[in-house]
Amino acid sequence: MTIVKENSPHIRRKATVTRMMVDVLIALAPTLIFSFVIYPIKTLIFYVISLAIMNAAEFVYVGLRNMMPKDDQKHTFKEKFEHSYKGKYGINNFLTASITAVIFTLIMPAGAPIYAVIIGALVGIVFGKLLFGGLGSNIFNPAAVGMVFAKLCFGNQYKVVEPPSWWFTLVSGPDITTGATPLTLVNGGALSDIGRYDLLSMFFGQMPGTLGEVYKITILIGLIYLLVRRSIDYRIVVSYLGTAFILAFVAGLSVFGLNNEVNPFHFTMYQMLSGGLLFGATFMMTDPVTSPINSPSRWIYGIVAGILTMFIRFFAALPEGVGFSILLANMVAVVLDHYEWSNPRYTWKKFVAMGSLIVVAGLATWLLISFGGFYHA
Amino acid sequence: MIAKTTKIHDTKNLVGALPSVKFLNAKYLYIATANARCPKADVFIKEGDHVDTFQVIGMRHGPFFEQPIHATCSGTFVGYEKHYHRNGKLTDFIKIENDFKDTFDKSIILRTPEEIAKLTKEEMTEIIKDCANVGLGGSSFPTYIKFQTDKPIDTVLINGIECEPYITADHRLMLEYPYRIMDGIKYVMQAFNAKRALICIKSKYKDIKAVYTQVLKEYPNSGIELCCVGNYYPQGWEVEMIKKATGIQLNPGELPSNRGIINFNVSTIVGIYKAIKYNMPVIKRMITITGDGINYPKNFRVRVGTPIKDLIPLCGGYKNPDKEKVFILGGPMMGASVPSDDCIITKTVTSIIVFDKVNEPEQPCVRCGSCVMSCPVHLEPVQIMNAVKCADKERIKKLNPLRCIECGLCSYSCTSKIPVTDYVRKAKVFAKL
Repeated sequence: MTIVKENSPHIRRKATVTRMMVDVLIALAPTLIFSFVIYPIKTLIFYVISLAIMNAAEFVYVGLRNMMPKDDQKHTFKEKFEHSYKGKYGINNFLTASITAVIFTLIMPAGAPIYAVIIGALVGIVFGKLLFGGLGSNIFNPAAVGMVFAKLCFGNQYKVVEPPSWWFTLVSGPDITTGATPLTLVNGGALSDIGRYDLLSMFFGQMPGTLGEVYKITILIGLIYLLVRRSIDYRIVVSYLGTAFILAFVAGLSVFGLNNEVNPFHFTMYQMLSGGLLFGATFMMTDPVTSPINSPSRWIYGIVAGILTMFIRFFAALPEGVGFSILLANMVAVVLDHYEWSNPRYTWKKFVAMGSLIVVAGLATWLLISFGGFYHA
Repeated sequence: MIAKTTKIHDTKNLVGALPSVKFLNAKYLYIATANARCPKADVFIKEGDHVDTFQVIGMRHGPFFEQPIHATCSGTFVGYEKHYHRNGKLTDFIKIENDFKDTFDKSIILRTPEEIAKLTKEEMTEIIKDCANVGLGGSSFPTYIKFQTDKPIDTVLINGIECEPYITADHRLMLEYPYRIMDGIKYVMQAFNAKRALICIKSKYKDIKAVYTQVLKEYPNSGIELCCVGNYYPQGWEVEMIKKATGIQLNPGELPSNRGIINFNVSTIVGIYKAIKYNMPVIKRMITITGDGINYPKNFRVRVGTPIKDLIPLCGGYKNPDKEKVFILGGPMMGASVPSDDCIITKTVTSIIVFDKVNEPEQPCVRCGSCVMSCPVHLEPVQIMNAVKCADKERIKKLNPLRCIECGLCSYSCTSKIPVTDYVRKAKVFAKL
């Protein structure tokens, strides 16, 4: 019997990174399957392309990073391969690339051309993640980087693809055959069209949009699963969605007032159920690598991202702000983690900061809408 | 799992119910000449000399105190032998051949209750100093230095929490010797003129609670109470225990005596009882032998100086002897690993844990934040780790690693299986430069 020495502690918890990643994949599965039911061919093509590109990029990256140093001896290919990959490419590399691929597939619009998917996937994984040093070192959410890049470059070539008609008749919804997503309808402040989508059909996802972001039920199933398994931090989800809710309600009040035929709650829920807000909150904001490290900073991070999302939606030329706001909040996360002020304790200063962030943003929303002439009924 | 880790999987229920096995007569007993706090020692006896139990056979010299060495059995001094000490170093041990007569040294007396009632704090301090009582929870801090405080003390806290998993030595001690503990508490309260004493236990230990609700009835109006605190780790750390038991939050680095509190481990209390009642130093202690590398985990009451090799066969030997083993003296979270099973039980060894070596590959950190949430002193272990990797001294100092108590929760909770605690230890070295 041999006795070996090791440093304390001598026992470890059972939870692993692999388990957390598998949990995210399981939580994404219902949405992916649902999207496959609605758009079978599109989802399959997008999914296969992004899965192949992202895993290939990760594989090549691991190989390049651990390349055998040059010496004057000759090595067979097998030796070189083993030097690069043995013990260095594991299940985690595959899982993390696959999660990014699934998320990227689900946030691409159904009408995106295939070359946009290819370039978006490549840019997302390479510039969003691998250039920073691979798993655990990236600052930006790679899926969001790919999506935003594809949108900025090829956005004008996106077509609006309607879901198949059987899906509209399955759950009795209104007869809508519009060429616009709920958010493009209200972008620019034309709120008169807000009644064209009713909340129930938005909740079921009977609207054009991205492949996976529109099915709120399956996303909620994934969210609940992740929260129960504690694989994501509830703080980010709560602060992000809460801030978005407050700002949407303030905007609704400012536009419609209390005594209008359109209820401000209707507008609030319209904002909450449209676009990628819920999807982003569940799967993209909560990515532990790109969120701050301690719990008070995570509250602040969610609040900042929520404000950015709603401001982009209300006041910018773009209809949707989740992808952009996540990338901007990722930068804030780096700032929050700076060692000079990073502290896991809750202090009064932090509560005041969180409160004043929401209050100032709410006030700005109210002022800009009431007197700046941005939104109007 | 992105969450604060508090509960640690443990097997206490397996061993805690077993009564302790008395193993008091090892053939040879070994007494350390040096320990972690005292690097040098003088030995007063020569080879071949006869020694009595409790006889002073040497003197250890620490940086600011001296500590007498006592023989723990009667017999013949055979010579010196090198064995592993608890701190993992090879140390010279005084080897005594046991003659199984157990003749007491002449310094052992019996103090009557009247004599004890007359003792002042200074006299008690002197007795405890001569008996070389140290903190038996694992710190080996000299008890008499705690007694020398001149601050007014109103609360005595007895630490029976034993928050480390697997260990049940204090648990068995509390169940088997309640009267010694109660009398020891009374002596300490008398010394400090304290009005209140709280025996802190984990609230899940219903058996200890049952024993002490009965025993406390025999000590009416003594001010001694039972205090059930939380079940989490590290509840046994004095700052957490004081906070839970009395509601007082100590500032970092503050001594409990500043707030009128003094705290002792239950084993230390039994040591104080023996010292004041009989002038006896600590020669016996309770230990637990457990872990998944041991066939039948057991609790033992042994003499200090018993070699561990004598005890392993009583536990049915090692399980799976062909596997690599880790041999730990102390708890699995903070205990020291020794490179051989050739070690000796000293006063502060609370347990022997034998694990099969588990090699879990280290994954990249995904910044899940579990270590930050779990840290009981509110540090950010992952930031400290990154600073150590960059060797950025300024950043390390700013992150304040010297507050770390090395509880091991950051490594335990790490989802990527990174030995974060090792990095924090390195950071402590950096920060001291």
